[in-house]
Amino acid sequence: MERLIAYDKLAREDRLVRMRAREVAQLKVDQGLPPFPDLLSRDSIKERVHGIMVGELQAMEGAGRSVYDFPDTPWEFTMDMARQVWDESRHVEIYVRLLEHLDGYIGEFPETTILWRCACAEDAAARVAGVNRGLEGLACDVFNQLVHIARKMGDPILERAVDYVLADEITHVRMGSKWLARLTEGDPERRRRAVEFQETIDERFNLGGIRREGEHDAVPISIATEARREGGFTDEEIARLIRTTQRSAVY
Amino acid sequence: MTHPLSGFLEVDESARTVRHYRYAVERMMRILGGWIALTPELSVKLLLGRHVWDNAQHADLWGKRLPELRAAAQVSEPANARLVAFMDALEAAEAPGETIERVVGVYRVLKPQLLATYEAHLASANAVYEPPTCRILTRGIDDERRHVAAGETILRHLLRTPALETRARAAEASLWALLEAAGGVTGAGPLARASVTGATAAPLSDDAREFIRLEQATGAWPIAPELAAALGAFGDALATGDPEGARRWLEPAVETGPDLQGRLLAARGGGHRVVAFARVGQQRLVKLQFDGGAVVKLQLDGGAESLTLLLRWVLTGAGWRVAALEPVVASAAQTA
Repeated sequence: MERLIAYDKLAREDRLVRMRAREVAQLKVDQGLPPFPDLLSRDSIKERVHGIMVGELQAMEGAGRSVYDFPDTPWEFTMDMARQVWDESRHVEIYVRLLEHLDGYIGEFPETTILWRCACAEDAAARVAGVNRGLEGLACDVFNQLVHIARKMGDPILERAVDYVLADEITHVRMGSKWLARLTEGDPERRRRAVEFQETIDERFNLGGIRREGEHDAVPISIATEARREGGFTDEEIARLIRTTQRSAVY
Repeated sequence: MTHPLSGFLEVDESARTVRHYRYAVERMMRILGGWIALTPELSVKLLLGRHVWDNAQHADLWGKRLPELRAAAQVSEPANARLVAFMDALEAAEAPGETIERVVGVYRVLKPQLLATYEAHLASANAVYEPPTCRILTRGIDDERRHVAAGETILRHLLRTPALETRARAAEASLWALLEAAGGVTGAGPLARASVTGATAAPLSDDAREFIRLEQATGAWPIAPELAAALGAFGDALATGDPEGARRWLEPAVETGPDLQGRLLAARGGGHRVVAFARVGQQRLVKLQFDGGAVVKLQLDGGAESLTLLLRWVLTGAGWRVAALEPVVASAAQTA
């Protein structure tokens, strides 16, 4: 089997429509809509949940590729990635069921592969930094806020399910923090490249100022400071992320 | 009566067998992980995703058992070069359309043989001094029985036509022959294949029937009647070789270009159906397949050549019109 597959090798059923993220955003802007779904209505929450569902699908695929692509990493690394595959496959199921709960269906919104593209680093340390700390950190932000919104709108199904997923995601961030340190031990150059890769992902997913520090109700995506700490982010890293959200380019 | 302290494997032999198990299980686990991204069908993705972790744990348990048998921890060793060749052949099915070969190879060949080997080992292992091995075998047997049963459920879902059944049988025969030549996962042959008839019901989280239900949950597309009529008329025009009739559904700014026009003409004579229906704000994306799809993915099967068009429909003063169209790759339409 080919290692390090390209983003366009991602296999999909025909019912999913794949588009570039910026193209989807532009189509929305052209219609006077926000480029990223807000959390102000059940319909926009459904769109957000659909986006998370395909994100979980790509996360499962990405973790599976890490199991396959890096046979020479420490065995415990493979174990963590295999565990993550299992978690993500359950997350896919959870979000498909939440889509049903919200009267949605798989394929109701286009799929973008921006998350997957970020998961295609060739070095295990960079991949784990980008995926487990960059993307899973983003997941912590999004899910933490979704739990809050679900609680506020009185939807215990959504609240409870997403809160369990959030707990898993914090575990994945912790794995990322652990493996970024271990895989780059004694190799500062490798660490620098991995951290740089993660920072480009953080920058990209600040989404032109959509993610920022603030109350759940006040900003489109609020940074989950506490969850990030639990996942192994230092206060300095969190402060740096917040600073970058104030200067991110438009999505 | 057999003496309670009699056994069939020396310690060193036991360690070697464990390394052989670990090779088969570890490599299978890595292959399953790698295949998830290459497999279109959601039910199969979920199946593989669930089993990667179980098999990683089995490999880990075997690897941890090794130092207890005076051997190095977490080492895998293939039984022989023919087993490596078998695994290479198993792994080779990586194209999107080879899901059947993937599932058959693992769930009708490798796992049933591994399960039979575990069962035979457990039946002959010494109950007094080999319980650490027996515990791992028992765990592996329970999980592999569940895996094989789940794989069979998924295969019943995938094998929808006699032609697909034939493909499955061919893949099974070919891989089984290779595994037989290797003498199975331990190289000891002759091969047996475990049956899982009467396997206990899987919990909801591992129930393959649920994976299939989730895959099929979409139901009917929520297409507005006016859009459905426009789609039908557009598709009919292309299918009957009437590009001018199709053209009237396009926004004036839409350019089809000579290449696409040629492909649209090739779709003549086929039927058409919507295979995807998504939305961005008030716009609709349809994949239309001719005898295939439309975001509205619109797919066109014109004889040998299959065409799927991705159409972006917008509601104008004149009704629904196509604002953009492009052919897209029909990935999993012919799943498996």
